[in-house]
Amino acid sequence: MKPRTATLLCAALLAAAPVHAEHASPAELANNTAAPLVAGREYMVLANHPNNLSVIDLADNTVLKTCALPDAYGPGLLQISPDHRQAWLLNNRFGSIYGVELDSCNVIFSANMSLAADERTKSVLSLAISPDGKEIYTVQNPSRIYVDRYEVQQPRLAVYDTASGLDAKPVRTFPMPRQLSVMQTGADGTLYVAGPDVYKVDVKTGKYEVAMPILNWNRPGYGAPDVLNAWPVQTITREFAFLYTAPKFKDDKQDIASADFVWGIMSIDLRTGAVSVADFAPLTEVYFTGIRSPKNPNHLFTVLNVLRKYDIKEQKLLASADVGHAYYQASVNHDGSRVYLSGTLHDIAVFDAETLEKITTIPLPGGDQATNTAQVFIR
Amino acid sequence: MNNKPIACATLTALALVASAPGDAAERQINVPNLIMERCSICHADDLGRLVRISAQRKTPEGWLMTVVRMQQQHDLGLSDDERRALVKYLADTQGLAPAETEGARYVLERRLNTVENFSSEQFTQMCARCHSGARVALQRRTATEWERLVNFHLSQFPTLEYQALGRDRDWFGIATNEIVPYLAKNFAYGDEQWQKWKQTPRAPVAGEWSLSGHLPGRGDFNAVMSVSQRANDHYALELRGNYADGGALIGQGAAVVYTGYEWRGKVEINGVEMRQVFALKGDILEGRMFVADHDEVGADVLAARQDGGASRVLAVQPSYLKTGTATELSIIGSNFDGELVLPAGIKVEKLLSRTPGRIVIRALADKRALGTHQVKVGAAEGGELAVFDKLDRIEVVPPYAIARVGGNGGPAPKVDARFEALAWAKGPRGEYRVGYVPAKWSVAPFNEDAKRDRDVEFAGSIDAKTGVFTPSFAGPNPLRHLMTNNAGNLAVIAEISAGGKPLTAQGQLIVTVQRWNNPPIP
Repeated sequence: MKPRTATLLCAALLAAAPVHAEHASPAELANNTAAPLVAGREYMVLANHPNNLSVIDLADNTVLKTCALPDAYGPGLLQISPDHRQAWLLNNRFGSIYGVELDSCNVIFSANMSLAADERTKSVLSLAISPDGKEIYTVQNPSRIYVDRYEVQQPRLAVYDTASGLDAKPVRTFPMPRQLSVMQTGADGTLYVAGPDVYKVDVKTGKYEVAMPILNWNRPGYGAPDVLNAWPVQTITREFAFLYTAPKFKDDKQDIASADFVWGIMSIDLRTGAVSVADFAPLTEVYFTGIRSPKNPNHLFTVLNVLRKYDIKEQKLLASADVGHAYYQASVNHDGSRVYLSGTLHDIAVFDAETLEKITTIPLPGGDQATNTAQVFIR
Repeated sequence: MNNKPIACATLTALALVASAPGDAAERQINVPNLIMERCSICHADDLGRLVRISAQRKTPEGWLMTVVRMQQQHDLGLSDDERRALVKYLADTQGLAPAETEGARYVLERRLNTVENFSSEQFTQMCARCHSGARVALQRRTATEWERLVNFHLSQFPTLEYQALGRDRDWFGIATNEIVPYLAKNFAYGDEQWQKWKQTPRAPVAGEWSLSGHLPGRGDFNAVMSVSQRANDHYALELRGNYADGGALIGQGAAVVYTGYEWRGKVEINGVEMRQVFALKGDILEGRMFVADHDEVGADVLAARQDGGASRVLAVQPSYLKTGTATELSIIGSNFDGELVLPAGIKVEKLLSRTPGRIVIRALADKRALGTHQVKVGAAEGGELAVFDKLDRIEVVPPYAIARVGGNGGPAPKVDARFEALAWAKGPRGEYRVGYVPAKWSVAPFNEDAKRDRDVEFAGSIDAKTGVFTPSFAGPNPLRHLMTNNAGNLAVIAEISAGGKPLTAQGQLIVTVQRWNNPPIP
């Protein structure tokens, strides 16, 4: 199972060779950076090469504005503040976090993940914001750089005050286990961090416990699942969701060779902390992301090389659409009428959520999106 | 002197051998002083003793990668001459004994179609999932050094533990607690073999060498390689010979012998720059010679020293005779002395020429000679000569190969794949190898996916006569489903006619994307 998935994922990632469209000139970017967002309107925000942040008006599927971001691109992972006024980004080759005012494009916050001169620190896709918007969280993976060697250090949860401005330092740090990545906050302020399992973390004390097992799920009749989650989507359904693939054994012998491999979705309800796990399809192709419809959360949209719509309970494929090129992330709008595909290359594809008919393609200023994270919100 | 750190060049462009006679400056450099001056700034302990460097042993390419990394990532200033001198010194003083490279030389020889197979699944998944396992097997380190290498890996490549086959386990814990002891045991610094090798007298190199080889896509060749010493371990080369197809093979260049046996040559043959990666084993040189910027184009080479070396038979070209068909054969060897003796049933119709390294005859075989034989010249015996009356089957060699798209304005050139048809015959004692035979080549979809995606149309084309597959251009192809690259999964089909009956065989070719990271040891 693992090698099979790995091969497919590698192939797909490599297929996304950066192709740069004509970049918007700095003058063009400057013209629209001051365009304010309008209360009540629905937007999508995402980042792409060379280092842009674009706001898309979902009412007419046009790019409202494009901000130029500081330093280097990558991964363009983005979270929207609870008041929908700021975008928070992990960028600069996984090395810095930025806060950007969407109305003005002004950078209001920056923090280098390395906290000392003899440290090299990366945050691997790890960024969340508190429900009150006052704190951001990231898990940092430091290495100490000695004059003639490196020494891997224990990861740490770093808590930043969003009002700290530029060159911010964490207000609290706590030791954490390894291999942590995407995270989201619950309504009560609990921080959920994905790693080998999903942990719930008390951001005041740093204490953590397993909220939802992944590798250690010990699900009867199943082998350990594999989860690739590089897209911490702030879902309209308020869930922290993970697509998994897992071997489903034929019998108690747990023979991997005869097992069926399945796709499923496991998630934590961020309002209640409740956990749900459900298979939805046999594993016949690779998806990078899946997102539930806010209109009918039993309906799931998945994407990589094809867009699919599933009925989770019935484990039934409802509709499919060719996508023209690979996309990594599926998003939905608030009324559940549209599906937006982003990630890789430099466009967003828009589909009718009911029929999966293609509505339009929104070209993005700039180049490849790589593994960015798009977020949809109403200002 | 250019003391600036070098830019991120393709590392294979960094030759271990300077163009003759540009190595004069290299030989003037006092390397111990250079090490004290440049390396010990970071790599000395409180008592001024070298650390890290002194606890590792590796190949010339291994040291080259280390030194270049110091230049690229740690601002080490070195001129090209200084780099070559430093690598030479380190490979000579902290290298590997010949026996320590056995089983892993394919990666030095850049046989990149090798499918590795290690007994430890854990080693394969932990180490050989990103680079060749041979890269590990060609290093010797203390346990502390292996542990530092693990820390280096995760510090340089922090996403290692998140990738598939990383995130399913406690990667760092396993690397530290299981892989480090495994490596320290299996690839220990322990220098018994090395000390023994250091005391072994060095084989002489200068003089004439008789050389035989086989280049897939072109065929057999033989040559005389004249080697003259320019300085200790530095040699000038001249090659004069012929391909079996009648073409001349003429070249010249230079070679450096590292560690007493690691022969690295840079020669221009018929206007094409080639590299030689040979191992010197007494009066024998064995390895591969390949095009410098297309290492998929390369020949197996076996050579024997004429001056002072033994009398040897190295090869018979071609390696087979069909009964009843008079065929010109070249017997390649060294210091031929005495009568050519062929097995019963093979008649020398005519002696066409004879030198101390090459005997050319026209031979005719009958059924008494069916099977495989060695050839004797005086006291020397060797080579392989098969006699057949009917071919039984063929196989595609290599059975599995990789080609890579390239060009199209990008920095990576296309990487070809080269196939040959290896013929077998049946005898009373079972099946025997006949040799490479001309075949008609074609490609077909390997499976249903390849058929649906029209891989045959997009991925490239094979030369029906030579078996050389040339891949298509790099980058997304708007004409393809999902705008995908010109990748493909192809069946490579060889067909010959054996006594009016067609024989076919199939191999597999994966046409894939460019190799962006192409270090001297992949």
